Amino acid sequence: MEYIEEYQLQIEKFREALGCDIMALALVQPAENLYVLKWQYISGNISERIKKVVLQSGKGIAGGVFKSGKPLMVPNVSEFASKDDLFNYPILRLEKLQSVGATPLWHSGRVVGVLLGGYRESNLMTTEKLQLLISMSKSGLGKLDGKELLRN
Amino acid sequence: MISDKKEQLTDLMLKMYENSTEAIFFFTREGQTISMNPAAEKIMNVHVLEQLKKGAENALCTVCIGYTSESDLTTCKDCYFTSSSHEDFSSFQVFLETEGKGITPYAATFHVIDAEKGTRVFILRDLSVQFETQSKLEQNTMMKNVIKAQENERKRISRELHDSVAQELLSAVVDLRALKYMTDDKDVLKKTNESTTTLIRLMDDIRNLSVELRPSALDDFGLEAAFRSHFKRLEESSGLSVDFVSTIERNRYETEVETVFYRICQEAVFNAVKYAHVETVQVRLFEEQNILHLIVKDEGAGFIRGSNPLGTGLGLYGMNERAELVLGNVTISSEIGEGTTVHLRVPLKEQREMAE
Repeated sequence: MEYIEEYQLQIEKFREALGCDIMALALVQPAENLYVLKWQYISGNISERIKKVVLQSGKGIAGGVFKSGKPLMVPNVSEFASKDDLFNYPILRLEKLQSVGATPLWHSGRVVGVLLGGYRESNLMTTEKLQLLISMSKSGLGKLDGKELLRN
Repeated sequence: MISDKKEQLTDLMLKMYENSTEAIFFFTREGQTISMNPAAEKIMNVHVLEQLKKGAENALCTVCIGYTSESDLTTCKDCYFTSSSHEDFSSFQVFLETEGKGITPYAATFHVIDAEKGTRVFILRDLSVQFETQSKLEQNTMMKNVIKAQENERKRISRELHDSVAQELLSAVVDLRALKYMTDDKDVLKKTNESTTTLIRLMDDIRNLSVELRPSALDDFGLEAAFRSHFKRLEESSGLSVDFVSTIERNRYETEVETVFYRICQEAVFNAVKYAHVETVQVRLFEEQNILHLIVKDEGAGFIRGSNPLGTGLGLYGMNERAELVLGNVTISSEIGEGTTVHLRVPLKEQREMAE
């Protein structure tokens, strides 16, 4: 899997700008990697474990956003998923997140990735913050739109 | 000699009357109580007991709910107590409202023991324990059949998805790929490339579904292979890592045994993911003295057995049922804060045949 330093730096910047505990970017892998979706770039994570998790379209936070193509806001994780349901959302469980927002990244009419911002305290993710995240994903991403990944 | 025997018999009969767990009543032809043993007194409430002792008519009716006939579970039609054809009531089932235990089913017999005087005896044997055993047996058999049916159906659908649906999709992908030798139109190629991507994702989803239903690795390569691929998938989907060590020598066991091991392990590991809140689970698979062992251990939250379950509570029950299908057993030990260990033991074929 190709690692692009610039993506990581951009993610760090986003995290600072939004003031959140974690910022993560999942990108669809190119054909040779069977188009899997993983949380490839993360800033503020407590473990590397989440990078191993392969996300399935339609499942979990990234899968849901990926499939629906719509932003998702979870102001309170404990209301969103019961404790026993949490295994369906590995990023919430492994990174102990309490409120998150996530938005899709588009390229030529397709979702190519998901950008997530989260807090380890509940109710810190607000509509305004989500809007900020969405506008960041649209403007500041530049090279993050996944063009390179679709060049084949 | 004869009188000796008679004496002995009288003594025995008296003892039986006094100490039997069966309730015994003697009634006159008119239906008045002559006598009742301690077991009979025990099941009657004070008020009815008084009535019975007084010899009041129909005293028994106040506690009798009815007997079971061919058409009804409880009926008073052609009552055994007043019916003239006593032969019909040598063995029947009757429900009584008893002291302390509520409505209880009894196996009863009601017949004439002295034709001249018309004395009749009424003997009741408590069936509630027997009923419980029976309903448990029924439940167990049912559960086992459900498990078998579910497994077969899963196998069928899984095979169908894997062999037929996924294969068809694959040939569609191949067809689409062939397009690039037929045209140079960039737009067309770009579009078909996108379609191929979608199809491949769809194929992946279908394969996942198929494996989730029943892994073909289990049927084709056996337990160890199925476990390894299951744990890999689990790591990929949940981030939980499984420390798996297997020392089994042979590759294959009977299909039923393999299924039981796979399903119980799946359930146990899944429980750890769901409830133990741990990052790693240990799984051991080994053979010892012709018994196949599986141990699934976590050092997580733990639970108290029999306390209000977080889930449906059927999982642990199902594990036992599954193990019983192959004459095995499951022990589950857990302590709050210490973690949980699930230990499955199943005797291998040779030993099972000996036991049977």
